[in-house]
Amino acid sequence: MNGAQHILQAFQQHSITTVFGYPGGCIMPLYDALVGDVSVEHVLCRHEQGCALAADGYARASGNLGVCIATSGPGATNLITGVANAFQDSVPLLVITGQVPAELIGTDAFQETDILGMTLGIVKHSYLVDDADSLPGILIEAITLAQSGRPGPVWVDIPKDILLAQVNLEAAEHQERKSCASAEPQTDSATHNAAVDKDISETLRLLRKAHQPLLYSGGGITLAGAEDGFREFAEYSALPGVVTLKGIGNPGRHNPNHLGMLGMHGCRAANRAVDECDLLLVIGARLDDRATGKPDTFAPNAKIIHIDADSAEFNKIKAAAVTINANLNDVLRALTREVQAQPLKIEAWQRQCRAWLTTGGFQAAGNEEALAPITGPAFVRQLSRIAGDDAIISCDVGQHQMWVAQHYQFNRPRQHLTSGGLGTMGFGLPAAIGAQFAKPGTAVINVAGDGSFMMNAQELATIRRYRLPLKIIILDNQCLGMVRQQQELFYNNRESHINLDDNPDFVAMARAFDIPALRINRTDQVRRSIETVLAYKGPMLLHVTIDREENVWPTVKPGGSNREMMEDTKPAKKKTEENAA
Amino acid sequence: MNQAVTSSITTSRTTVSSRHVLHCCMQSEPAGLERLCRVVRVRGFRIASMSVESSGKHFNIALTLEGSRPISMLQSQLLKLHTVVEVVLGAQQARSVA
Repeated sequence: MNGAQHILQAFQQHSITTVFGYPGGCIMPLYDALVGDVSVEHVLCRHEQGCALAADGYARASGNLGVCIATSGPGATNLITGVANAFQDSVPLLVITGQVPAELIGTDAFQETDILGMTLGIVKHSYLVDDADSLPGILIEAITLAQSGRPGPVWVDIPKDILLAQVNLEAAEHQERKSCASAEPQTDSATHNAAVDKDISETLRLLRKAHQPLLYSGGGITLAGAEDGFREFAEYSALPGVVTLKGIGNPGRHNPNHLGMLGMHGCRAANRAVDECDLLLVIGARLDDRATGKPDTFAPNAKIIHIDADSAEFNKIKAAAVTINANLNDVLRALTREVQAQPLKIEAWQRQCRAWLTTGGFQAAGNEEALAPITGPAFVRQLSRIAGDDAIISCDVGQHQMWVAQHYQFNRPRQHLTSGGLGTMGFGLPAAIGAQFAKPGTAVINVAGDGSFMMNAQELATIRRYRLPLKIIILDNQCLGMVRQQQELFYNNRESHINLDDNPDFVAMARAFDIPALRINRTDQVRRSIETVLAYKGPMLLHVTIDREENVWPTVKPGGSNREMMEDTKPAKKKTEENAA
Repeated sequence: MNQAVTSSITTSRTTVSSRHVLHCCMQSEPAGLERLCRVVRVRGFRIASMSVESSGKHFNIALTLEGSRPISMLQSQLLKLHTVVEVVLGAQQARSVA
């Protein structure tokens, strides 16, 4: 068995059934091994960035490891944005690239790049395999590492000659055993558990002492598989709660104490609660700057309790009174038992938060006139009503991403795929492809902007090839809307290179890939078009023309304080106000 | 775990630059030193001096660093590197006020 064949065996041993890749020179031995292999489905994307982002979407939707494959040189460098995206959002990814033969490394050979050196800052760990016998052990270690603790991408770069070399199975088994031991975290469990118990007690003491405690949760809940534990704690503690962009869906949409997303485009109620709370219980979040705004003015009156899988996040942005680095599920269940036995007495604070939500939830301006132009928020609300709890929504980056975050009523976190940390335009379409492979029976909808859609539009060919039934909705304002908005608000309305009024005909473009498409531009077309698209058995694209001047509200100036939220000051159009609460 | 925190990052980003001594033991691998130096740079420190001894399976690295951010933050970031075994902080002294 050669190195390439051993990779396929490792896939099989670790229940890896779907990989996303693109062949090329130095990875050809692996593609040769794939011929006739039935254990793994290889999905050919049309650009390596598409491969990495599809693997990312697969991992987010399923909770399993995402795998992407590319050749050396440009194949590997094209993966980088997707891998950085996974790194920023702690998505477990195994990245396999071919490299020039070992004897040519360092000679500036054809399609040689020092991909290991280039990617040190965007991987959890990486390897350049220098010995065929070490490959099996490295693969085990890489697969384990990517998914353990705080997940992330692990990159394995393999010279072509090692892919072709025979693996000495006896030596490989020895390496495998060493790697298993190396990948497991080493902790003194008795000492660790005693310390965690003490910190949980202190957390409860502070919670009971607080008058205005607030729950703050992020994407770490899902990464830890702690969705149920979190929801129980949120329910039994009845703590008012806010979520980060990646925490959307954590509390479900029926929790009466849920205030919504905080931060730059969060709602006024959520930011107000953070501002006024006297205890902030942060779980599975890293206090990202888009969420906190200016740190000096973030939760100024609160003691912070920080619970996370990564202890390096503690005290990084804000000092915490208590930090707990442990399995989130265990901590949440321990806390739940205590608040069930002795409920928190925070009725006045709950009432106050609900009152804030009544007036400070997300507002959507809708126009009831049939011929009125469509607005992004109103469209997303209608989509949410029709697609509901079952659909997976995969967003790109920009205004539409924030409208989805604000106005779609998500009921579970893996329903919402969004590029949080890196903010990768072009994420949505390939991530939706990955999600559709992970969840073939689920409606997967890519909500894109016209700018983002063009960043990975080549993946329409992947949709056609595999006849994926996913839906694409382009909210087209004929410009880079979020950049235009910031130029309007913070750069004296000096528009600079944001105009996209020469966009292609998206309907014709989809049809060129054998994907049926519709175009709408009036309010009275919204409901029926969404129903038509969702009912269609195959892939379909809906091109929605929206108002160019629509902004995402509320907003906070980049680097500013969440206390200073800006609202729409334009003259009121004929609109009806609808509250998100 | 609870940690003694003397200042948040908002107060630590003052103009006081401190000099720190840090000892690191990491598994020997070709990219090990690159990984280490990258983290030091990105997390806001400059290397004033560095010595490396290879003892078979490990690198023993002594670093003298300058920076104004809390050194404990760098320590915890270095410990996240898979091949880092141990990071021990040595003496610290305030060096300059910019």
